[in-house]
Amino acid sequence: MERKRSISPAAWRRASQALFFGLFLFLFLKTDYAGSDELTWAVNLLFRIDPFLAAAVMLATKTVIALMLPALITIVLTLIFGRFFCGWICPMGELIDVSRRPFGKPGVGSSPGQRHLKYYLLLFLLAAACFGLPLAGYLDPFSLLVRGFTFGVHPAFDHATTTFFTWTYQNAPDWINALTEPVYAILKRHLLPVADKVYALSVFSLLLLLTALGLSAIESRFFCRKVCPLGALLALCSRFSLFRLAGGSEGCGKCRACHTLCRMGAIDEERRIASAECILCLDCLSQCPRSRIHYDRKRLASGIQANLSRRAVITSLAVGALAPLALPSRLLARRADPQLIRPPGARAESEFLGLCVRCGECMKVCIGNALHASWLEAGLEGIFTPRLIGRIGYCEYNCTLCGQVCPSGAIKRLTKEEKHTTIIGRAHFDKNLCLPYASGTPCIVCEEHCPTPDKAIKFREVEVEDNKGKRVHVRQPYVVEHLCIGCGICENRCPISGGAAVIVTSEGESRHVVSY
Amino acid sequence: MDRRQFIREVFLWSAGATLAIPHFNILPEALAAEKQASLLSLAKGEDYAALVAQVLKPLGGMAQFVRPGDRVVVKPNIGWDRNPEQGATTNPLVVKAVVAQALEAGAKRVLVFDRTCNEQRRCYTNSGIEQAVMELNDPRALIEQVDQRKFVPVNISRGTALTKWEIYKDALDCDCYINVPVAKHHGLSGLTLGLKNSMGVMGGNRGNLHHELGQSLADLATVIRPKLTLIDATRILLRNGPQGGDVKDVKKLDTLIASADPVAADAYATTLFGIQPDAIASTVAAYKLGLGEMDLARIKVLEA
Repeated sequence: MERKRSISPAAWRRASQALFFGLFLFLFLKTDYAGSDELTWAVNLLFRIDPFLAAAVMLATKTVIALMLPALITIVLTLIFGRFFCGWICPMGELIDVSRRPFGKPGVGSSPGQRHLKYYLLLFLLAAACFGLPLAGYLDPFSLLVRGFTFGVHPAFDHATTTFFTWTYQNAPDWINALTEPVYAILKRHLLPVADKVYALSVFSLLLLLTALGLSAIESRFFCRKVCPLGALLALCSRFSLFRLAGGSEGCGKCRACHTLCRMGAIDEERRIASAECILCLDCLSQCPRSRIHYDRKRLASGIQANLSRRAVITSLAVGALAPLALPSRLLARRADPQLIRPPGARAESEFLGLCVRCGECMKVCIGNALHASWLEAGLEGIFTPRLIGRIGYCEYNCTLCGQVCPSGAIKRLTKEEKHTTIIGRAHFDKNLCLPYASGTPCIVCEEHCPTPDKAIKFREVEVEDNKGKRVHVRQPYVVEHLCIGCGICENRCPISGGAAVIVTSEGESRHVVSY
Repeated sequence: MDRRQFIREVFLWSAGATLAIPHFNILPEALAAEKQASLLSLAKGEDYAALVAQVLKPLGGMAQFVRPGDRVVVKPNIGWDRNPEQGATTNPLVVKAVVAQALEAGAKRVLVFDRTCNEQRRCYTNSGIEQAVMELNDPRALIEQVDQRKFVPVNISRGTALTKWEIYKDALDCDCYINVPVAKHHGLSGLTLGLKNSMGVMGGNRGNLHHELGQSLADLATVIRPKLTLIDATRILLRNGPQGGDVKDVKKLDTLIASADPVAADAYATTLFGIQPDAIASTVAAYKLGLGEMDLARIKVLEA
């Protein structure tokens, strides 16, 4: 690329992308406990300026979600400036651009007119959300990104780093450790999770993210061109944008530099720039040999637009509207999966599903590593929604972070006092496994860990014959139902290997008793 | 060869040989030599910082335990995400004073840590202990989250219930290990005092110890041997331990107990709850292993 004396417009755009990606990473790392019950940063910011998710959750719940109103800013700015969001701010876009080298192909590819898929997807997803099949979070770029980072990238980075520094710590001579240990201390303080974490659907989520990036092997920014429903919504707005790029004309002769280099394939052979597809990366403006391209109030037509067929539009909407009709036929409609334990403050199930944007923020922030992505426990529309898996982690009694990071209020923000009385499930004992019952062996680790001030797990002292035939006194635990809130620490800490002898199910959860 | 030198040499010789497991074998002669009349100091008062100095005085002060240049570990109970008022964790003022005393005695480094049961950062924060240690504003006083890499497998040759476990390196190779438990109720063991507090230096799935808790704690005490046990009974948790959570279960006693004999300290602390030392299995088991005195008649109580 030619270096000019002044900073080229495209360089400003790259700087902006880097800045916002940095901000994304910063907020991602700050999505964690930091010594205070309240988070200081608006870590869910990205999801609250996403008009696609905002539209989907508001259609799903038929209410105005105040938390997501900042998304209007994105719409207004797009109506003025065009689809700059995709080129200047979107961290997914930045990642796609950065991964151009391994995956990518330069410009051209499909013409700006052949971008129907994303519009149909958008219409389908919004219609489906409205009629009771909320799937928007599956394809939203931020949800894909944060899930991939939370479940896959960050734990993998942590594991690799820790493995390396464990090796140096245990095997390398002192002079090497004098160098490596301070580095590890810095990493541990700023980048790595305080304790190692595991996540359900980690590999799957990572593969989905890599797929979004890897699609660039077909065409550059393929995901942005043809899949991204947020991109589609912004493209629809930018058709009417006040400012846009324009320039090339017959006067350019044989030069089609702009057409060849455009990463979005937004510039056709005739050098017309499709405003809906243009993400204002400004490569063309910076590199036009005759500096003919400028960003200005619109004078020209908005270039070639995807010509959405009326039939396909209606079909997309109709499929979205009709698909939910199949849902009441499922077993789930009669009995919810008892393993589906929602986070404290989660709203009643159908409202919860409508509001949840599958962003994974609650699972990132969960300090007990208790929340995990569901697979089909909540049905086809419930994939990636959070559920507690007691054997992996437990809900920390005094922690209210998941409700604080939820960008849509699917998990209500609770005070500590509200949290203490919010029942997410209830524990019960499997006496065939529980040691004091099964073999007369002392244990009651569950009772020790039970966090309610008046313990929900109590014990009876009984004399039994242990499995060696000896009369012994043991303490046999039991659950006091009205005290148990289902936090799962008993299941988590049950010391027997394999499955726990005390298990939490969603029985008795308070969200289905009172309406919030 | 004294015990500490022995431990140090075992470490030295096993360094690099990752397969070799440090072997802790405390010779009976060493035990016999250590066995003398158990002194225990008892102090009452409301100024907890002064109370720490006061309770140590009859024992010869902190200088009796910490030598200049020593690497010291202070092990409070930070196990739960509870406030100081709830009595589930060691009083931060007591911890702070103990650390300050050790620094004053010339310690090269004082490390404070505990492997917590609840989320580690919440425990460190809400127990007030992290803040208390940082308030000393002394680079030699460190409070650290447990580093998983530092758990080393240790053979406990005198153990019967516990013969091998992963133990935190700093607790093994420090010059002076000071145990600062909080006295409180515990569902399974009756009470949790000094011996139980040492579980905080163990790695692995500690729940398994519960199957023979008393003996396991005594076995652990054969390798984790505090030079000083200082039991915080400024307030004690009477019910719903070890976590508590209701201040109605907490009783203010304004008492500290200090002893070089870990068993004597536990035995005496038991009486604060109105029960006798033989009600606590770990005290009995440790006594039987010759780790200290539990007969109240043979513990000399020095009221400070």
